[in-house]
Amino acid sequence: MSLPAIFHLSHLQAMLLFALIISVAFGMLGRRRPVERVKYAAWSFALFVLIGVAVGWAIYPFSR
Amino acid sequence: MPLAGATNGNGEPYAVLMALAGWILPGLGHALQKMWARALMIFVAVGALVVFGAGMRGNVFTSQGDDAFDKLGYVADAGTGSFYFLARKLEVHGPDVSHADGDYGTRFLATAGVLNLLAALHAYEAARGRKA
Repeated sequence: MSLPAIFHLSHLQAMLLFALIISVAFGMLGRRRPVERVKYAAWSFALFVLIGVAVGWAIYPFSR
Repeated sequence: MPLAGATNGNGEPYAVLMALAGWILPGLGHALQKMWARALMIFVAVGALVVFGAGMRGNVFTSQGDDAFDKLGYVADAGTGSFYFLARKLEVHGPDVSHADGDYGTRFLATAGVLNLLAALHAYEAARGRKA
């Protein structure tokens, strides 16, 4: 069973995938009721993406 | 609603057993306490991070690390329990961190381990009746 580098993701795709998986996990672990889980996961995902993009732009001037 | 672990009177040894089960197989600690949704989610989340991390050719650290960062990486990777061996098995071509993919893969694998340790701690707390 081998797995060569089959996933070629852009920076944004990798960040979105990471944020999605972790947000859902946090929502399921941190809250008990289904509605609260969805809200928490959505809020966590939004913060991951917004802060990630903001930090990306903040360090952009130093990247070249 | 009382939890299985909180009502069976087994106390600390039972809670430690749940944490160990959760570490060895992601989600097992919750499954044994009949928290099916959480168990499934932990299994899928940790599994997805491991598969994506290995598929992106991230670095799966070994216990023979040269420096502190390698050793710390090994601790994080080992947090996935049995999935650590799955990552080693999947990544037969070795890591390739010369590209962004491999670098992200390394982070995915480390995150999978830390997330599973967090889930194992949650299973412990749930078994003690402190968390639901």
